[in-house]
Amino acid sequence: MRRASPLSLWLINLVLIFVCAITLYPALWVVKLAFSEGQAISLSPSPLPDHFSFQHFIDLVGHVDSKGRWIFGRQLFSSLLVASTTTLIGLALAVSAAYALSRFRFPAREAGMQTLLITQMFPATLMLVPLYSLLQRLGLLNTRAGLVLVYATASLPFCVWMLKGYFDAMPKELEEAAMMDGASPLQVFWKVVLPLARPAIAVTGLFSFMTAWNEYILAATLLNDEALFTLPVALNRFVDEYKSEYGTFAAGALLVSIPVMALFYALQKHLVGGLTAGGVKG
Amino acid sequence: MNALLIALTFSAAQPLKVWHGYRGGEESALIEAAQRFTQETGTPVELLPVPYQTLASKLTSAIPHDAGPDVFIFAHERLRQFQRLGIVDRSTGRLEPRTYLPQSIDALTLDGETYGYPLAFKCVALYVNKKRVPKPPATTDELEALLPALSNPKERRFGLAYESGEPYYHAPILLGFGGALFDAQGRTTMNTPGMAKSLAWVLKLQERGFMPQEVSGALVLSLFNEGRAAMVVSGPWLAADIHKDIDYQVVPLPTVSETGLPLKPFLGVEAAFVSGRAEQPDIAHRFAKFLSLGAATQLRVEKGQQIPAELAAYETEAVKSNPLIAAFRAAAANAMPMPTTLEMARWWEPMKLTVRGVVQRTVTPEAAGAMGDRLYRALNRQSPPPTSPTPWLITLGVVLLGLFAYAFVDSRRGLPWRQRYPDTWRAVVYMAPAAIGIAVLVLIPFTVGISLSLFHYDAGTYTFVGWGNFIDILGSHDYSITEPLSFYFTLGVTILWTALNVALHVGIGLALAILLKEPLLKLRGVYRVLLIIPWAVPNYITALMWKGMFHRQFGAINGILELLGIEPVSWFTRFSTAFAANLATNTWLGFPFMMVVSLGALQSIPKDLYEAAEVDGASRWTQFRRITLPMLKPALLPSIILGTVWTFNMFNVIYLVSGGEPGGSTNILVTEAFRWAFERNEQYGFAAAYAVLIFVVLFIWSAFTKRLTTEKA
Amino acid sequence: MPAVELKNLRKSFGDNLIVKGVDLAVEPGEFLVMVGPSGCGKTTLLRLIAGLEQADAGDIFIEGSRVNDVAPRDRDVAMVFQSYALYPHLTVRENLAFSLTLRKASKASVDARVQEVAAMLELSELLERKPKALSGGQRQRVAMGRAIVRQPKVFLFDEPLSNLDTALRVQMRGELARLHQRMRTTMIYVTHDQVEAMTLATRVAVFNKGALQQLGAPLELYNRPANQFVAQFLGSPSMNVLDAQREGGMLRGEGFELSAPADLQSTGALRVGLRPQDLRVAEQGPLTGTVDAVERLGFDGFAFVRMNQALLAARFDGDQQVKVGDTVHLAPLGDALHVFTADGSSAVRAPPRSPGA
Repeated sequence: MRRASPLSLWLINLVLIFVCAITLYPALWVVKLAFSEGQAISLSPSPLPDHFSFQHFIDLVGHVDSKGRWIFGRQLFSSLLVASTTTLIGLALAVSAAYALSRFRFPAREAGMQTLLITQMFPATLMLVPLYSLLQRLGLLNTRAGLVLVYATASLPFCVWMLKGYFDAMPKELEEAAMMDGASPLQVFWKVVLPLARPAIAVTGLFSFMTAWNEYILAATLLNDEALFTLPVALNRFVDEYKSEYGTFAAGALLVSIPVMALFYALQKHLVGGLTAGGVKG
Repeated sequence: MNALLIALTFSAAQPLKVWHGYRGGEESALIEAAQRFTQETGTPVELLPVPYQTLASKLTSAIPHDAGPDVFIFAHERLRQFQRLGIVDRSTGRLEPRTYLPQSIDALTLDGETYGYPLAFKCVALYVNKKRVPKPPATTDELEALLPALSNPKERRFGLAYESGEPYYHAPILLGFGGALFDAQGRTTMNTPGMAKSLAWVLKLQERGFMPQEVSGALVLSLFNEGRAAMVVSGPWLAADIHKDIDYQVVPLPTVSETGLPLKPFLGVEAAFVSGRAEQPDIAHRFAKFLSLGAATQLRVEKGQQIPAELAAYETEAVKSNPLIAAFRAAAANAMPMPTTLEMARWWEPMKLTVRGVVQRTVTPEAAGAMGDRLYRALNRQSPPPTSPTPWLITLGVVLLGLFAYAFVDSRRGLPWRQRYPDTWRAVVYMAPAAIGIAVLVLIPFTVGISLSLFHYDAGTYTFVGWGNFIDILGSHDYSITEPLSFYFTLGVTILWTALNVALHVGIGLALAILLKEPLLKLRGVYRVLLIIPWAVPNYITALMWKGMFHRQFGAINGILELLGIEPVSWFTRFSTAFAANLATNTWLGFPFMMVVSLGALQSIPKDLYEAAEVDGASRWTQFRRITLPMLKPALLPSIILGTVWTFNMFNVIYLVSGGEPGGSTNILVTEAFRWAFERNEQYGFAAAYAVLIFVVLFIWSAFTKRLTTEKA
Repeated sequence: MPAVELKNLRKSFGDNLIVKGVDLAVEPGEFLVMVGPSGCGKTTLLRLIAGLEQADAGDIFIEGSRVNDVAPRDRDVAMVFQSYALYPHLTVRENLAFSLTLRKASKASVDARVQEVAAMLELSELLERKPKALSGGQRQRVAMGRAIVRQPKVFLFDEPLSNLDTALRVQMRGELARLHQRMRTTMIYVTHDQVEAMTLATRVAVFNKGALQQLGAPLELYNRPANQFVAQFLGSPSMNVLDAQREGGMLRGEGFELSAPADLQSTGALRVGLRPQDLRVAEQGPLTGTVDAVERLGFDGFAFVRMNQALLAARFDGDQQVKVGDTVHLAPLGDALHVFTADGSSAVRAPPRSPGA
């Protein structure tokens, strides 16, 4: 590619800084609210707090319920547990399904792909009522397992689509070479396909994690025990019709965002290659 | 003796489950009261705090499935609905009516039976900043005389602030100006002189700069705390958050000088209800009653600052010495207990659209009433005529048979099965877990959802109506095609919304990706992380932030416009600007995904192609058009297809930023479906029909893109 | 017992019949090259032997046992892919050791074998690198090494040199030949490059449109092609073939007349073939035409001469003056005439030896 002249390099930097500023401004508002005193929204346009205070974080993290349980800790644990098992189960299901859809020839393969896309088309909120009865019948109401299953299946279509696209672009010869080298189908999958698909798996994993980590409507409906609540459900209490504690809400929002941001940062390298295949070739 | 023992061990093993929406002081009071109850009776109490906005739907879904609590605390306004669904138990005979304020008992009485035990009541009153208003106004004339001196919109100071777009807050004014909610037959009526006068009065105060626009509860608090609003209308819940430096008093709402009637707020009674399916009804009633009386009341007053419903409480020192309670009791004297009729539930949504239409100046106060009546008829649909489901079932059977037959015949044609599909068994093994999961947890609810669209739902009963819902929607029955509430208008908005969003996401994402590819760029990693932030932060949080940024008086965007010398914009009063606000928010949320996809896709383009183009003397633009774009297409297309489906159903942004304003015109199909299901009296069948139509539109679109992609291959 | 034997093998993809009933026996220790234009089914055939494709009909035997239903990993054959198919996430050492570790060989024996093969292929310095950090030739060698480590019954090569530049290709060709000399293992090699076929093979199998055209030693194929396709596929430039009619002792075609060889039995419509090497640009000759293009190679060269509709290639000596646009005569060099049936499907006569070569 043509190298940019110093002038255009400056220009590029300028544009990027400008876009970053726009990007950061609303996000900084969350930070501002979290570190301000009181629950009121500040009325000045500056994105920096007027009075600096950790009170919201202390309130939030120190919250203890009527039985003396450290509720924030339990909810954090609940969130982590739900999000990570969702990721694991979702990935396990998605990777194998995507591999089959990409590599095997079997009836109704195209129909399978279309079905996956179709499930994304029906508004999720309207499936809530039937889903509730279903989970109750399966004995999964008010359990993390039920929530995990719902999340895992909800994020499946995206994961399968992305992974299938990646597998499609992966040269088939590598698997054939492994077969020739004496690998069983399972060994081909474990030793060649999975390591090669690592970027895509990382990205789809991140996506499932985020879906489960951020979701609150289903969690608020399906869980009936405060200690099982995930953090977004807990946070949602701070903004309601009568009374909104925006400060505490923002502090919570910040805490909720941190793990996701950390994951994003850690997976940065994979993120770029993982959504589109191409890096595997050669 | 034995029986007692069994009862004791039983009750010790079985805690009483209680759900509530309390926070802060009210919650601590409840916790302590519950502990006392356990000490007295030996029955443990398990409290579950639920976000208030989800509490009602949680109760209505959980209790009929036997997954709910024994006791729950809720306002009385939904009592009729609860009673119809059988989720509340009668308290007649167990509660002594004379112990409580008569208004609170009235509120809990339906058809001669009482339900639940009244705890406290809530209504609005006038909070007055004493420093700025030494003598609170007793009449609207006095109020109007005070306001000019207290207001200066340029400095963002206002004499009065309240949530002027909310029916709950407009109701006192409507009633004070002689208006009514219902006619003599108990039907909602909007087109009354009182309605026009009350709206004209509000508009006058707003136009003269005495009141801010687009007011939320949070803004009311901020304005009062910063001394920017001299008077605000709010309920007892505000008191806990008022800054300690603010010297204030609470007084009943003033009287309307023109009519001599007081501004009459709604009275909401909070009660402890016993579930209709409680596992231990006796102990549950005992607990609910315990909460409403004596020591528990004391706790609720002292710790929770509640305005108690128990009469005896007013004799105690704690209540007598509390000016807030006294003030609200006085305010409650003028209040009207919120009716529990089904008609009441139908009143809210059209009323809200009417009030907002006036304060956003899309309709005049005089014309508003007629519009309200029309909206009422449109939003509270009559059931389409019921039909027999038999022909439907027969058709369904025939179609299924036909499909099986086709599959059978198809499998006999062409190559033998094993050759055509050599991997069937392996595929079954690999696909089974995902397929079963999707089939059970997605396809079953999906099928149920689809079949719901053939029913009309009204307060607990489903009637089969066949195509009825679809005919209503597609026939655009109650409004012309160009009106915001018609399907076609919303569809148009949705398509515009999707197309613009996807174009912006891809355009901006791709542009940034190309900039970030610049090999000499040093801070690439930093930029990349910063630009991904909108994707990483939960969107329900950032959507709220954006809404704040678009506020008429206090939003950052108008602040910047003013700095640039541009007239500030009332973003949510016109379709174009409200739509632009939604678009800006969603663009901000969505471009990082496309940027990341583009970055990856750009990487997969071989460098030598560019080198070849360079040698051929192609300009950068030509390189972009002739190499980058065509090479990106296969990599970007799946993401674009998915992105389109997501944007089409992007609920959070529309719901949280513009909320459909003005007048529901910026709603997209999915928010409209949600409103029919959850905000317009649970018209599940109609909402499901909307959902099916959404599905059909997307399905046609995906069939189209499928052809697009296969043509490539 | 043949190392590999194919009996009436058939394979189609969808409605496309790719392999149309092939019978073939590969002798132990043989270097068999399968050659043909792209799409002739040679790669499919190789993949059928490897077990990467399932045959629709027919049988495959490896060392006497039928392997149609045996998984690739149990056939004990190794394959080198055109794209090399090196595992990008593994180092060269791990790539080489992959098949051995799958077989649960002891670590010491794996290491020893990897060292040995790496030394053989001059890869010892590169063992810790990832494939990405290798040059094309090095990758090629790793791909071969990966096949060699296993000591399989049969090696399969799928156009392994086609991604290399000319110089490397010549070098690797030599190395392959030496490798075969040394190991004496059966090798089946697919290419579309006739030079590779001629130089490497002990026997060549020429394929066209899914059918085996001829099988034999390279020179035999060149000298006595079984049909017009084989005749034209081998040799460069490709053989000149003209329609002709036998009339008594003469073969007459459009604008030319040749005397029929004495041993030619066939009569009626035929086709005659002359390799460019056997056709000289001369003062006079039975064929006449205008020079269309000239390829000078130094010592000699080829002239492409238009005669009526046909374009004929003929050799000339380096010092001969041949210019585009000249009208020239072409003369066959001795008894060089190939004769085919009118449809080219089989040869009816070949010259006793190759006079031009």
